[in-house]
Amino acid sequence: MEQASGAGAATIEFEHVSKRYDTSAKAKGTPGAVDDLSLTVPAGRICALVGPSGCGKTTTLKMVNRLIEPTDGRILIDGVDIASIDVTELRRGIGYVIQQTGLFPHQTIAQNVGTVPRLLGWDKARVGRRCDELLSLVGLEPRSYGDRYPSQLSGGERQRVGVARALAADPPVMLMDEPFGAVDPIVRERLQNEFLRLQEDLAKTILFVTHDIDEAIKMGDLVVVMQQGGKIAQAGAPAELLAAPSSEYVARFVGADRGLKRLSLYRVGDVELRPAPVVRVGDSAESVRAVGRERDEHYLLLVDGTDRPLGWVEAADLEPGRVVSEAEADPATPLLDRRDTLKDATSRLLDAEVRYGVVVDRTGRVLGLLTLDAVMDWMQDDRSREVPGDIAEAVSEAVVIDDPDAVVEVG
Amino acid sequence: MVEIRWDWIAGHLDDVADKTWQHVQLLVIPMVAGFVIAFALAILAARRPGTIGPVTAVTGLLYTIPSLAAFAVLVPITGLSLMTAIIPLTAYTLLILYVNTVAGLRSVPAEVNEAADAMGYGRWTRLLRIQVPLAVPMIMAGVRVATVTTIGLVTVSAIVGGNRFGGLGQFITEGLQTDFDTKIYLGAVGSVILAFIIDGGLVGLQRWLTPWARARAERA
Amino acid sequence: MEQVLGFLSDGANWQGEAGIPNRLLEHLEIALLAVLIASLIALPLGFYIGHTGRLQLVGINIANMGRAIPSYALMVMLLPVMLGLAPVLGYDPRLGLRFLPVFLAMVLLAVPPILVATYAGLQDVDRELSESSRGMGLTERQILTQVELPLALPVIVGGVRIALLQVIATATIGAFLAGGGLGRFIIDGIARRDDGMLYTGVLLVSVLAVGTDISLSWVQRRLTPAGVRAATEPGSVELRGSGAT
Repeated sequence: MEQASGAGAATIEFEHVSKRYDTSAKAKGTPGAVDDLSLTVPAGRICALVGPSGCGKTTTLKMVNRLIEPTDGRILIDGVDIASIDVTELRRGIGYVIQQTGLFPHQTIAQNVGTVPRLLGWDKARVGRRCDELLSLVGLEPRSYGDRYPSQLSGGERQRVGVARALAADPPVMLMDEPFGAVDPIVRERLQNEFLRLQEDLAKTILFVTHDIDEAIKMGDLVVVMQQGGKIAQAGAPAELLAAPSSEYVARFVGADRGLKRLSLYRVGDVELRPAPVVRVGDSAESVRAVGRERDEHYLLLVDGTDRPLGWVEAADLEPGRVVSEAEADPATPLLDRRDTLKDATSRLLDAEVRYGVVVDRTGRVLGLLTLDAVMDWMQDDRSREVPGDIAEAVSEAVVIDDPDAVVEVG
Repeated sequence: MVEIRWDWIAGHLDDVADKTWQHVQLLVIPMVAGFVIAFALAILAARRPGTIGPVTAVTGLLYTIPSLAAFAVLVPITGLSLMTAIIPLTAYTLLILYVNTVAGLRSVPAEVNEAADAMGYGRWTRLLRIQVPLAVPMIMAGVRVATVTTIGLVTVSAIVGGNRFGGLGQFITEGLQTDFDTKIYLGAVGSVILAFIIDGGLVGLQRWLTPWARARAERA
Repeated sequence: MEQVLGFLSDGANWQGEAGIPNRLLEHLEIALLAVLIASLIALPLGFYIGHTGRLQLVGINIANMGRAIPSYALMVMLLPVMLGLAPVLGYDPRLGLRFLPVFLAMVLLAVPPILVATYAGLQDVDRELSESSRGMGLTERQILTQVELPLALPVIVGGVRIALLQVIATATIGAFLAGGGLGRFIIDGIARRDDGMLYTGVLLVSVLAVGTDISLSWVQRRLTPAGVRAATEPGSVELRGSGAT
């Protein structure tokens, strides 16, 4: 597999960055597009910039690759002031993905993907190998997609090509501006999930702009809620933002259903499971009732020989002397997986109108029960709000506006 | 009514070939020169949009001048050399080539330009590799019109050119002077046929230059 | 140049049949006449195509042919035909037989620009405007004359402008075949190697052409409501007057 020359990830630092379009004297004192932004994006993390339209998030993004030049302040990548580097060289080291993709219509997919490597002077063979590698990485078969033109691809496929193109020279930094905005929700979710999986392997530093708070929560390791003038209303890990919005503005932006949104941050596997009260096929009614008394349960989980759930049996219903069989069990829905989000799991419990669901492993074996109580316990647990060190550091360094509620309306 | 002597034509094929060849020369040289000038001006327009107005006005002015006058103008100066025809012919191509090239370059979608910048294309490489290829359809449209127009204008130049230049137009003037219908039609119809053939070739050229447009058409 | 001034200052050149005023008049006469006749053909047809939307293909083909056939080729091709038809048509002894093909070519070539401008200009008028007029009870003719035409007028004038420039240039060339007009100065100037005459002819015909272009452009602009189309649209080169015929 072709390895690009050792590019790890890099930190991005904004130091008192401002962008003002009207620099005349009469405009002094009025807010610019971005006012005095100071923020650090830790290496290898996704930082989501989210806010209403016109808040300056895209302007901020474009200042990193100098498509827009700041009026004040500095931006550093891995400690180097980007203003001191040749702008073309800078851009060849930064991946850029936008909503309309910006794929070159007159070039094939392979040529599009190979753009930056070619600009860097890689030889033909190396470019070709890298293209094939990247197309496979984003889920497009190189043989069938390589020679096609962008107009022949669907929106989702074009976005994948856009991502592949941005990754081609293995840049340490990626800028993404509403990259999944132009596709339908089903495709969007798939693209988001695949991108997150990709990021697990690549660990690039990514600045991700979106107006969709749900996307920001899902994609971001660090979420920065912005306001008019590029001001930071709150910066934090997704869990923090949802659990403790720092102002009315942020609370409104995050949404009134933020409690439910919090549930989507965690998985069934995070929560402590209650041991399932199991009985087996062939157990006598007496032993079943004994288990019921012991565990103080009316309903017992009937499993087969391999520990797979067959259904629930009611202890009181069984006639003495009888042996338990499958026929007497009520279906054990829902069956939950440890990887399910708590939001999905809770939703399914509500859907089935039960208080707990059976959690099984990949082979279908019973692991335990998920109860609503346990879910609530977890949400109250401090561990659910644990934040990695680098994120916490970035949060503490971010310069937040004094009174977010004082500014004019949200979007 | 009209009597065409095909035997005469058959007997003078080398003359036909010579004049056709001159006609082609008087087409190609002005087109190339006009294209180079128009292209340079179009690039200037991209850097300084303020020049578009004046340049369009000047080339438009040249375009308005009646053709006979344009060819006659240089006779006392450059005599009966090919330049007397080439300079006005070039001037007539400028307006349409310029306007179409400018419009073609402008037609490149903003996000494509932005992506090119963001990838690290320098200004000139972006122009050459991204903007110009995508501007080809509009540029070619201009080339086609300019070509057909020029072929027609070459015939007019024969009025001024005597027996020195005018391509197939020379057959026309000779035929008029000697009341020889065959030559008249040879020149007139010949130049129209030449225009059709070359236009067809240009359509083929455009298709060859824009494989991605074919792909899009196939998808639709 | 001095030669031009010399020619212009010679009184003889201002008098008589070969004088400047007469030639200018001749040129204008046939140009305007040709455009008038062409309009009589092109306008009704253009109204029909533009208002009803039918016969579009006819319109497009006429436009294409107009562009493809150069004026000089057209007029010479018509010459033998006209000579053959002479006994039937009769002729004006003043201008000679050869004048007819020139005139006919002028009329034929003036038709496409006026036709295209007319139907394109009418089609540009908002469909909804015509619909609501229809709904209010106006007859088709009233819609055409009271609603669509006034709005399409600038474009139609533009078409006339192009046609006029076309025939001015064609008439100039036509002097080679027969007849007068300002082209006479150019042709004779070359034949007699009289640079003064030659350049006077060039100057006069250029001024006539450019003057016509500018004045009709001005009229067009005055007739156009706010929202003028930018002059740099590629298609609009077709909308420019051309001496390149």
